[in-house]
Amino acid sequence: MKNEELKNQDYKYGFTTEIENFKAPKGLTEKTIRFISEVKKEPKWMLDWRLKAFNRLRVLTEPNWQKPKYPKINYQDLYYYSAPKSFKDKPKSLDEVDPKLIETYNKLGIPLNEQKRLSGVAVDAVFDSVSVATTFKGELDKKGIIFCPISEAIQKHPDLVKKYLGSVIPISDHYFATLNSAVFTDGSFVYIPPNTRCPMELSTYFRINASETGQFERTLIIADKGSYVSYLEGCTAPMRDENQLHAANVELVALDDAEIKYSTVQNWYPGDKDGVGGIYNFVTKRGACRGKNSKISWTQVETGSAITWKYPSCILQGDNSIGEFYSIAITNNYQKADTGTKMIHLGKNTKSKIISKGISAGQADNTYRGLVDIGAKARNSRNYTQCDSLLMGNKCGAHTVPYIRNKNSSSTVEHEATTSKINEDQLFYCNQRGLNQEEAVSLIVNGFCKEVLQQLPMEFAVEAQKLVSISLEGSVG
Amino acid sequence: MMEPLFNIDFKKIPSSSGKEAAERKKNFELFLKGGLPGKKDENWKFSDLNFIINRNFKNITNNDNYKFDEKIELVNDFDHNKIVIINGSLKSYDLQSEENGKVKIENLKSLDRSYNRLKNNLDYLNKALSIGGFNLEVQKNYKCKKPIIIYNYFTENLNNKIINNSNKINISQNSELTLIDYNIGKNSKFIKNTYEEINIDKGAVLKNIILQKSKSNGYFYKNISGTQNYNSSYQNFILSSGPKFNKIELDINLEKEKSSCYILSGLNLSKEEHQEIKTQINHLAPNCKSFQKIKNVLDSDSIGVYQGKIFVKDIAQKTDAYQLSKALILNDQAEFNAKPELEIYADDVKCSHGSTSGSIDAEAIHYLMTRGIAFREAKKLLIKGFLNEIFDNIPEEKIRIFLEKSMAEQIDEIR
Repeated sequence: MKNEELKNQDYKYGFTTEIENFKAPKGLTEKTIRFISEVKKEPKWMLDWRLKAFNRLRVLTEPNWQKPKYPKINYQDLYYYSAPKSFKDKPKSLDEVDPKLIETYNKLGIPLNEQKRLSGVAVDAVFDSVSVATTFKGELDKKGIIFCPISEAIQKHPDLVKKYLGSVIPISDHYFATLNSAVFTDGSFVYIPPNTRCPMELSTYFRINASETGQFERTLIIADKGSYVSYLEGCTAPMRDENQLHAANVELVALDDAEIKYSTVQNWYPGDKDGVGGIYNFVTKRGACRGKNSKISWTQVETGSAITWKYPSCILQGDNSIGEFYSIAITNNYQKADTGTKMIHLGKNTKSKIISKGISAGQADNTYRGLVDIGAKARNSRNYTQCDSLLMGNKCGAHTVPYIRNKNSSSTVEHEATTSKINEDQLFYCNQRGLNQEEAVSLIVNGFCKEVLQQLPMEFAVEAQKLVSISLEGSVG
Repeated sequence: MMEPLFNIDFKKIPSSSGKEAAERKKNFELFLKGGLPGKKDENWKFSDLNFIINRNFKNITNNDNYKFDEKIELVNDFDHNKIVIINGSLKSYDLQSEENGKVKIENLKSLDRSYNRLKNNLDYLNKALSIGGFNLEVQKNYKCKKPIIIYNYFTENLNNKIINNSNKINISQNSELTLIDYNIGKNSKFIKNTYEEINIDKGAVLKNIILQKSKSNGYFYKNISGTQNYNSSYQNFILSSGPKFNKIELDINLEKEKSSCYILSGLNLSKEEHQEIKTQINHLAPNCKSFQKIKNVLDSDSIGVYQGKIFVKDIAQKTDAYQLSKALILNDQAEFNAKPELEIYADDVKCSHGSTSGSIDAEAIHYLMTRGIAFREAKKLLIKGFLNEIFDNIPEEKIRIFLEKSMAEQIDEIR
């Protein structure tokens, strides 16, 4: 383990694990895709699916409407698959996993050893392009819940994967989603059988380790009729001078009366004080409330990444379905975030709620961009949107770009947004009571974010609160 | 082979020199290259002009007929100065209420102005085909005694014609003017593309009211580009319900401290009407204020659009900016689209926006009906209340009553 790189204490996950890697040849070619498919021992239909996406990719161009601009990515200079060498033959149990990997996860605070782990959270740990281990499998099996790496699901549950993969984010959706469809490596697959309440939180921890590598994970969660699942996602990466690409696709499907709660704490390496390095986090997340009375709730705390660009969305197809989006996006130094949601109301009596809190400091740029679209048939639908931005200093920017479309007379859409700085009176009040400037800011910011933080599961909420304070360290004064 | 949409005759435009004629042709080529803006253009996302024009027009030619011998129906609710414009061209004026030489109006030649920002293809079109318009100037330290009404007449014979004109309004230091744009259209179906430049100097005040007399088959686009100096004030009231299509684009630069900009709109749209208000308020100096309130009542299959952007530059501290759009949707075929945007780079600011859309409050209707007011009356009463709020900012009582009256006539048509 190299510790010299840990110069900057602010980002405590910035270490690299020195481990021998097994990589695909560089470059985005049909060969690479065939290679990935072969390593994963995928059936032919999966390879065909990937190639279809790759063919589509040839005619697509990268989108350029977004606010954060980035230097052109050389897709031929990337590795699309990287796995620890010891994974060439997949370890059968945790005892066979390279101890270095286990140590890495211990260091990240994610012990894979079940006894040490807080009971009540099952973890799937993804390291670069492969899933390292999935905990609590036995207990979940008893209830019929499937929680496994998606590469395993492709082999063991092909019917489910065939039915739902790409059904929310089609192959030809947009450049990065299509890229993911062609080259995705690993991720989690969750299936909750009818009328089952998942007894514990399911969690995936993503780690980018290898350099010059893009991470393309794919997550698919299906909540069958009357089921409930809460899913958490965490991510970190080492500190490097280069920008690394992370283009994930996440698809959620909620059938009749089902509920999915999806929480993310995104803490990829944000780059250093001068904006060098960091992850490009270009993620497509979309959920479909297919069934009646279904519900999908997105909660995200975005503190990392050089550029964050994602819009977790809900397609409210089923009558009476509900979509929720709670977000905190914090940008400091030269970070850029362009994030928000889409709520597409198609069914009757559908409801959606959007709470977005953006905080920018340093030279950062923070944009909320969202769409609320109420279709002509979505009678009696309701939307409430609130986006608040907090600015610290006059070198950063806060922007709000909501799109609102209402096409019927019985639906109501409400949107509110404010932009302000930290209230001087509140700061003064805190200072007066003996809090220093930084503590006071952290307290006020946490209060500003409270509405979103309280949506997070308990273990995450504590972590997220700390993260909010750390991300803004040194930004006041 | 499809017929070309435009059939323009440059000879109809009185170009002064060969150089100008060449310039016009060049601009027209530029316009044709890009074509009419459509929904792929972010600014026209909700109003696909290309589609709308192609569906309703063919073989569009430029107008060269300015003949007018009818009697002008004057507004007699309050005293005012008059400017008469026929099919986009200045015909006559009467500024007798004002001191001699304090208010100047003259014909504006088409190309003697800056077009400081070419924003879209319609600006090229305007530059190519503009027949001019008026140049209005209020002298220093002069506060106009009476408002000016611009009677914008459109004659009967304008079918499939396009009118391009351009105006310039200059309000000098410490002067004041209330300007009412009064559109009076006949039945003909035409396109009008206007470019207007407004300059409001130190301490000056301009109140601009845009009003439509009756329903019109016209398709209007107006691009207003304004700059404001220290402590100046611009108030714009958009009450132009009636045309088949209308898009008003306002681009206001608050260049010096303490300037303020108000944009208020109350629109009542009915069958086959489509209206868009697009604003961009650039706060470029500290201590400026902007306020926007856009209200739409949408009946039948009408479409209302509001795209508003507030931009705050990093030095523009103490900015106070507010944006509100509200829509009442009366029919399932009607549609309201909004994009209220904030782009902020200064931290000590108060910026907020709100947007709501929905149906008439059923409980309020119920309340009124329990008090013996019939359903239709109750509905109209609520709509009136919703729209009349816009007039609170007009202090001149006679003008306010006149506007309320014309609004009441429109509301009366709602079933």
